[in-house]
Amino acid sequence: MSDAAFLDRLAAIVGARGLVSDPADQRGYVTDWRDNYLGTALAVVRPGSTEEVAAVVRACADAGVAIVPQGGNTGLVGGGMPHETGREIVLSLQRMNRVLEVDPLGYSMTVEAGCVLRTIQETAAAHDRLFPLSLAAEGSCTIGGNLSTNAGGVQVLHYGNARALVLGLEVVLPSGEIWNGLRALKKDNTGYDLRDLYVGAEGTLGIVTRAVLRLWPAPRDRAVAWIAVASPAAAVELLSDAHAASEDNVTSCELMGRQGIDLVLRHIPGAADPLAGRHDWYVLMEWSSSRAPRPGANGSGLAPAMEAHLGAAMETGLVLDAAIASSDGQAKALWALRENHSEAQKREGPSIKHDISVAVSRLPAFIERGLAAMHETLPGCRPVPFGHVGDGNLHFNCQSPEGWDKPRFMAHAERISGAIYDLVVDAGGSISAEHGIGRLKIDELAHYRSRTELDVMRAIKRALDPANRMNPGKVVRV
Amino acid sequence: MPDTAIPTIPTEPVTPALLAKLREVVGDKGLILDDAAKDPFVTDWRGSLKGHAAVVVRPGTTEEVAAVVRLCHEAGVAIVPQAGNTGLMGGATPYATHTGIVLSVQRMNRVLAVDPVGYSMTVEAGCVLQTLQETAAAHDRFFPLSLGAQGSCMIGGNLSTNAGGVQVLRYGNARNLVMGLEVVLPNGEIWNGLRALKKDNTGYDLKHLFMGAEGTLGIITKAVLKLWPAPKDVCTAWLAVRDPQAAVEILSEAHAASEDNVGSCELMSRAGTDMVLRHIPGTQDPLKAETDWFLLLEWSSSRPRADGAEGMSEKMEQFLADQMEAGRVLDATIAQNAAQARNMWTIRESVAPASRAEGPGLSYDMSVATSRIPEFVTKGIAAAKEILPSIRPYPLGHIGDGNLHFSFMAPVGMDRQTLHQYSPAITRAINDLIRDFSGSISAEHGIGSDKVGELEHYRSRIELDTMRSIKRALDPRNIMNPGKVLRV
Repeated sequence: MSDAAFLDRLAAIVGARGLVSDPADQRGYVTDWRDNYLGTALAVVRPGSTEEVAAVVRACADAGVAIVPQGGNTGLVGGGMPHETGREIVLSLQRMNRVLEVDPLGYSMTVEAGCVLRTIQETAAAHDRLFPLSLAAEGSCTIGGNLSTNAGGVQVLHYGNARALVLGLEVVLPSGEIWNGLRALKKDNTGYDLRDLYVGAEGTLGIVTRAVLRLWPAPRDRAVAWIAVASPAAAVELLSDAHAASEDNVTSCELMGRQGIDLVLRHIPGAADPLAGRHDWYVLMEWSSSRAPRPGANGSGLAPAMEAHLGAAMETGLVLDAAIASSDGQAKALWALRENHSEAQKREGPSIKHDISVAVSRLPAFIERGLAAMHETLPGCRPVPFGHVGDGNLHFNCQSPEGWDKPRFMAHAERISGAIYDLVVDAGGSISAEHGIGRLKIDELAHYRSRTELDVMRAIKRALDPANRMNPGKVVRV
Repeated sequence: MPDTAIPTIPTEPVTPALLAKLREVVGDKGLILDDAAKDPFVTDWRGSLKGHAAVVVRPGTTEEVAAVVRLCHEAGVAIVPQAGNTGLMGGATPYATHTGIVLSVQRMNRVLAVDPVGYSMTVEAGCVLQTLQETAAAHDRFFPLSLGAQGSCMIGGNLSTNAGGVQVLRYGNARNLVMGLEVVLPNGEIWNGLRALKKDNTGYDLKHLFMGAEGTLGIITKAVLKLWPAPKDVCTAWLAVRDPQAAVEILSEAHAASEDNVGSCELMSRAGTDMVLRHIPGTQDPLKAETDWFLLLEWSSSRPRADGAEGMSEKMEQFLADQMEAGRVLDATIAQNAAQARNMWTIRESVAPASRAEGPGLSYDMSVATSRIPEFVTKGIAAAKEILPSIRPYPLGHIGDGNLHFSFMAPVGMDRQTLHQYSPAITRAINDLIRDFSGSISAEHGIGSDKVGELEHYRSRIELDTMRSIKRALDPRNIMNPGKVLRV
């Protein structure tokens, strides 16, 4: 089939507004948001329904054309980016953005893959429910991409990763057939767990088109504290005790080093240090509960319980100083210090990112070794570790030495990353805790995972996508 | 329908040469050849299925499991993996035509590491569930998986079947309680996925594929389990409720009222409760209410009651008063001590033994979306009564999970044989209804050999094809628990 005939067939399926053929209009679909990749595509196709997705996939199967599925295009590892060959199509789910059903009593919601995460959060809130997935890109990322990459975020500690937030899926398979696994079931032991195979597969096994999401009660009581701790070990211990002290209501626990705070204070207008003294390590802890504090009830509510917990921890020396937010505005300001780390790093200059995880109790030793390894590999570099201590997941980032430009720094990037990843693997950890593999880490994965594990993944890929047309060259090479 | 067509399975025999090699790997104490000694391994615990095996092999380590599997793989000999042998669907019981081995992980029963600060525990597959609960408790932690067979079932089997139980509402199914696995693959290679990580987005999630695969894709040999803070303040209540709709609404509001501390929420009927009171010595009726429906509601918190502060029981009391006012709760009692709470739980947990004492019956382990439970109960009872008007329904179960054990006693005086004349039609009617509700015909118990035919009947060709593709890709010789879950 000629390219023109193929494009005609696509246009017949999705209509004129479903096909983006102008290269200028395609740009937003073939470059990633950090501008690390610039791909080209035979076409950008935007189907409006599951049936159209299936028809497009079948047309691609007939024409031998590979497909790059794409959601909000906010990924960090190039998983939604076409290669430079120009022989792939980008299949964008953006037009499939309807919330199909909300079941507040059953705590579930059925949505199309192109729904923006924030829309879903707001829809849940309008029904007095919570959809807990929350991450920096929530204003533009879409749920199909969140599920395909098993997104993390700041509430994983309490609610789990994206895969823990989904009950059922509808997936268009590489053959163009539709798998209807759109079941709103909390329990279903009928054969292999296909849902969890598609979640996190980054579009290499099929295209998620709809999902049944789980909902939770809306929070009614919240306590947020900014805590200076003696060390990362103190942070882990503080969290370990906080589970019981909060009645299992710890929803976030974020660790930050002083270096990151200094960058935020320098680059983000309006940012202010919540505590008077300078400390090496900080924790942002949030507790939340769906039960409103009852006025008058003695000792009721989360803020008094948190105060007691932190007071006790100060006596034992785990906590050096702390401030509990007394208003929503203050809580927001504390969160802004955490959430502006990436932006502040970007404004400071070149940096490299490592999205790693280890067992929570091994985190302190890992941080110590990791910092030493960075300094040893490139004296003068400025480590900026921060992240989700409760998940054992750190963004173990590294800022260039003062005044260096990007090329000069990037010449050392591979050695720094290699040193960090070696330590991660020694500690039994993960070289991609949240962000996935995509294009960026495909070689790293091949390097660090056992042949047995890679063989099993390849066997699955070959079995479900024998022609290798679904997001080829991502996650694992076949 | 009861499945009459036995799947085609490999029938390579265990030759004397292979037996000698197996003996080299596991030694004499790892082999059972005697028919009488093999009997418990080839019979399911209810005694309703009896199969055959040339030999029962009991390796002591992962390396021994791998060596045994490699030998079977080379020879094309089929393997039935088995842990505590408490399954309800025949998944661990060999077929009568099985000429291969049963591989029992019973000897691999060590707790390898407990990490209280990291809230995790690394164990071998043959650990008895109750031992793991006790080990966690000894470290002031909680391993929440809890089910009737916990004194004899083993964690390898729990994970391979993605077991459920009475704490799923809060903590999730078995698959939610796991961080990492070690699995011996059908070719005898060892997959080391024994990672104590809460987050790991590096390729396909193999862990979830092996869990719930009922040993058809590999043998789980070790696991890293998640732990939780130990419960310190528990409140158990027995509620007479208006109807199942009221029960669903009560649960929906209980989440917030308890600050997300609802541990269990079990629906019971008057008929089921009476059956337990009739047959189980020492049980007492918590409420003498003349109502058809009861709810066992338990809230638990890991925070000890502080002096003067509200505990779980004060919160529960206030909640129940609100619910009575709303007309959902007709009467209720809160357990005042451990013995009263124990009595409530004994009633719930004794339904299975009581039903065996009562006589013949039928039970369906089904799930639908939680909010559709009330409608399903009404329609399901009507469907069964249309076929057998005097059948006695006593649905019960995990209403918060949308999972009921949709159960019936035979009409008074009817024997098993007569009931079985009606059961195929009732099964078809109930399972059709489950399909119409987009539900599951096996919420907890799995497929095993018992429901292979039902799964084929109710799942789409596309879904079955996908499962078969995975099975063929990972077990091309079809030696790993062949004929269970799927026919390839």
